[in-house]
Order: sequence, then C-alpha cells, then structure tokens
Amino acid sequence: MPIKAWELDPHFKYEIMQEPGGEHLTACYQCSTCTLGCPITEIIPSYNPRKFIQMSLLGMRKEVLTNPDLWICAICQTCTARCPQNVVVGDVLSVLRRIAEKEAEAGNITIESPRPLFEKAFLHTLEKYGRLYDMGLAMEYYPKREGSKIKGMKAMMDDYRGFGMRMFKRGKMGPLGGHGMLKGMRPSKIKQREVMEKIFEWAEEHEK
Amino acid sequence: MSEKKIGYYPGCPSETTALEQDISTKAIFDKLGIEWVEIEDWNCCGAAEAEDPRLVYALNARNLAIAEKDGLPSIVTPCSICYFNLSRTNKALKSDEKLRAELQGIDPSLAYNGSVVPKHILDFLVNDVGLDELKSKLVKQVKLKVAPYYGCYLGRPPETAFDDPDDPVLMDRLIELIGGENVPFSSVKTLCCGGPLMMTRADIAFEMARKILQTAKDANADCIVLACPLCGMMLDAKQPDIEKALKIKFEMPVLYITQLLGLALGIEPKKLGLDKNIIATKKLLEKVM
Ligand code: SF4
Ligand code: SF4
Repeated sequence: MPIKAWELDPHFKYEIMQEPGGEHLTACYQCSTCTLGCPITEIIPSYNPRKFIQMSLLGMRKEVLTNPDLWICAICQTCTARCPQNVVVGDVLSVLRRIAEKEAEAGNITIESPRPLFEKAFLHTLEKYGRLYDMGLAMEYYPKREGSKIKGMKAMMDDYRGFGMRMFKRGKMGPLGGHGMLKGMRPSKIKQREVMEKIFEWAEEHEK
Repeated sequence: MSEKKIGYYPGCPSETTALEQDISTKAIFDKLGIEWVEIEDWNCCGAAEAEDPRLVYALNARNLAIAEKDGLPSIVTPCSICYFNLSRTNKALKSDEKLRAELQGIDPSLAYNGSVVPKHILDFLVNDVGLDELKSKLVKQVKLKVAPYYGCYLGRPPETAFDDPDDPVLMDRLIELIGGENVPFSSVKTLCCGGPLMMTRADIAFEMARKILQTAKDANADCIVLACPLCGMMLDAKQPDIEKALKIKFEMPVLYITQLLGLALGIEPKKLGLDKNIIATKKLLEKVM
C-alpha cells in the first residue's frame, strides 16, 4: 500500500528515541543484517525487524503499533549483537511494544496477541510476592486469554496435564514439590513485599 | 581466585522447574571449597517479561544492594536471564548517578553504590575459579558425547556479554577438561530456545527448540548441556510435548553444566539432582559411572 504522507507522524522516531534502548534509532542504514540473523524470520519469512525500524523512521506509527508481528519477537538480541550501526534493535522492538500497550490501554488500538496479558500476569505475581509464582500466573493468564473462566481452566488443563504430571513425578511441583512441603503449589514470598509494591507503583507512574 | 565469600542468586526456577540446577550448583560450590551465601530475601529479576528497563533496574537494584550491604564482592547466578538483568542494571547504575538517587528515593533498600560484580556461573567457573584449579579437583573422566548449548545472553548483547557472540567456547572448554567430546553444534549453539514465546506462541517456540534437539540427535550426542533454566524448561521439560506435537522422537537427555561438572568432581548423581531431569538420565549415567 502506498504511503500517504499526510498520515505519517514525523514525531514518532523521537518518541522512540526518548526511551531507554531507542537512542540510536536514526543510525540505521537499512542493511538488513538484523533480519538476516533473526531466528523468527527463519521460521516465519514475512517477519522483518528491519522493516519495523524503517517504518518507525518514516513515522508509520499506526501501522507499526498494530502490526501483530510485534509480538512474536523472542527478545534473543541476535539483531542487537549484529547491527553494524549499534541500533539496539531488540530494545527498539520492546519500546514499540510498550507504546502499543499504552495505546491499547487508552482504547486507541486493539492488540490481538495474548502476550501483554501474559507479561502482566507474570509481573502481578512479582508485585504480590516478590518472586514468580507459576500457578498464580497461570490462573490469571488463561481465563483472560480465553475470555472466560471455564474456557481458561480447560486451556490451562490442556497445557499442563502432561507437563504438570512430569513436574510432579520429579518432585518439582505439586504438594511435595520444590524445596519442601507445598513449595511448588504455594507462592514463595519474600519478606520485604512492601518494597515490591513501591517499585511497581514507581514504574507505573513513569509509564504514564 | 578470590578468597572472599560469594553471593549466590538462584533465581525463581531454582525453587521449582530447575530444582536440579540449584542443587548441583550448591553441590559444586561446596565440593570446590567455595564459600557462598544465598542473597538474603532476594527478589525476581523481572525475567524477559519486564520489558520496561526502569522496572528491571529497580528490581535488580534491590538484589545488588543486599549483596553490597552484606559485603559480598560478587553475585553468581546460574540463570542467563538473571545474569543479563543483574549485569545491565549494574552497568546502568554505575554510570548514572541520577538514576541511583531516583531508585534510592523509592525505598532506602534500593541504595546501591556499584561495588558488586554480577557473574554467570559459566564465567565464574572458567574465569574466576579457573580451569587449572578445576583440573586439580577432578576425580573422574566423563567420557560422553556432548552438545554444548549456550542460547542467548552469554555472548550477546555486547554490553553484558562474556563469551563470543557467534562461537562461544567456555562450556566447550569445561567439557573437554572433564574428558567429554563436543559434537559439532556451532550451527545452533547460540540459537534462541524459544522459551520467551512458549506461553503465547507455542508453535514458534516448539519449532525453535526442535532445531536444537534435532541437531543434537543428528550429531549423535549423548546429551545436551546448557546453563539456563529457561532453556532447560524448553529443551528438557517440554521435550515430550514437542515430540508429541511434531511427531518426532528425540529422547535426548538435557543436563545443566553444573550437573556434568559435578560428576567429574566425584559427586553422587543424586546430590546433583540427576533424578530430577525430565528426560531420564539413567542410561547416560551408566556410561559414566
Ligand atoms: S542491522 Fe542495524 S543498520 Fe542494519 S537494517 Fe538492522 S537496524 Fe538498520
Ligand atoms: S530480538 Fe527479536 S527481532 Fe531480534 S533477532 Fe531476536 S527474535 Fe529477531
């Protein structure tokens, strides 16, 4: 589709460059090294990190933020390591995902990928306990992803039936799992949980 | 090697999915006579899910500050992502006074002056303990064909890397030292395991893991050896799911490098958690014992 110049957002690149990791965006000279080394491109040929950089530079804000491919980056940092221009490509993509999330929260775009839900559910357990709590994460994530409690529970059982049994058999999760009674079932809580609350409050304040 | 006590940062999977990594890391510390203490009341590093670097800095500042307060010169972690997060936080805080002050403003427990060095276990073993020292403590040859898998964050990104980005060697050296044979594995040794996509795009994650498992199998490896609990989760714990979904059989044992080294140091398999790996290690152990 041809670009319509009047729909471009010339400010978009500065918005990205303000964020940690986005600083070197304009140094990109479109060599494609990032895309050539990307393990996702190898599997899904249409996936193209270089294109995200170029579209961002051009100011194609909406196209970039609503592109579902934004959510299949594995954050492996191969692109970052190989970019001859020191563009921190992996971090730029992360900045784009965070801007997209803010826009989605404001109701300006919709995100099809469940990844923001997953990341949020993960972080909620840290906020509450100070450490990752797998069960708590799953109990929040699956119902949200499936849109209902019942469907969520079913999807969770489908994913965990084999895996959970294996963990249980090896004494890693379940009633006797982890380093002692109930450890794998219950959250492992740190003592200074109030500091976690303060940290998350501060980070959220910044994201606004 | 420094005589000082080190700080040990186990990371969240050490309590559940990567129990054997935690057990074997502590076992080799003790066997090597390394004085260690677990970072008191440590919190999660944010893993790959905390995409906001400021959140990562705040979470890890607390862990670094605890180590500093307890006079520990270094934090050693067996997890590649924990290492990356601790290390980039340390870099950012050392060079940014304003950020340090801001974090301290959140809570005094985040006050950190930059005196602690975060280390990944592989870097610690090869470069701090040293191959000569390790060699002097070996009691057994571990004659296995091993596929050394590095994944992400050890050789990249450049700001925190301690090994070569395209052809890392530290694990290869450890394996040679204990009598093992490294199978040709360069084509996938630094490929991402797919772990970060497991819960949202399992199809892509499985395909990423498949390439690694397939290469190890084609090279006739006895096992894959790695140094990150997320890689362990993908390649070991999820292996039966990958086999089922893609209709392939691998039955490829996956060990943590600390477990393999532990065997060479003469530690009993059980004390290395070798009964906890998902793909059974029994046959493998028969070859070694
Ligand atoms: S590798 Fe760097 S310079 Fe080359 S296209 Fe990618 S971001 Fe641009
Ligand atoms: S960080 Fe993302 S875009 Fe970059 S190489 Fe890895 S998967 Fe591809």
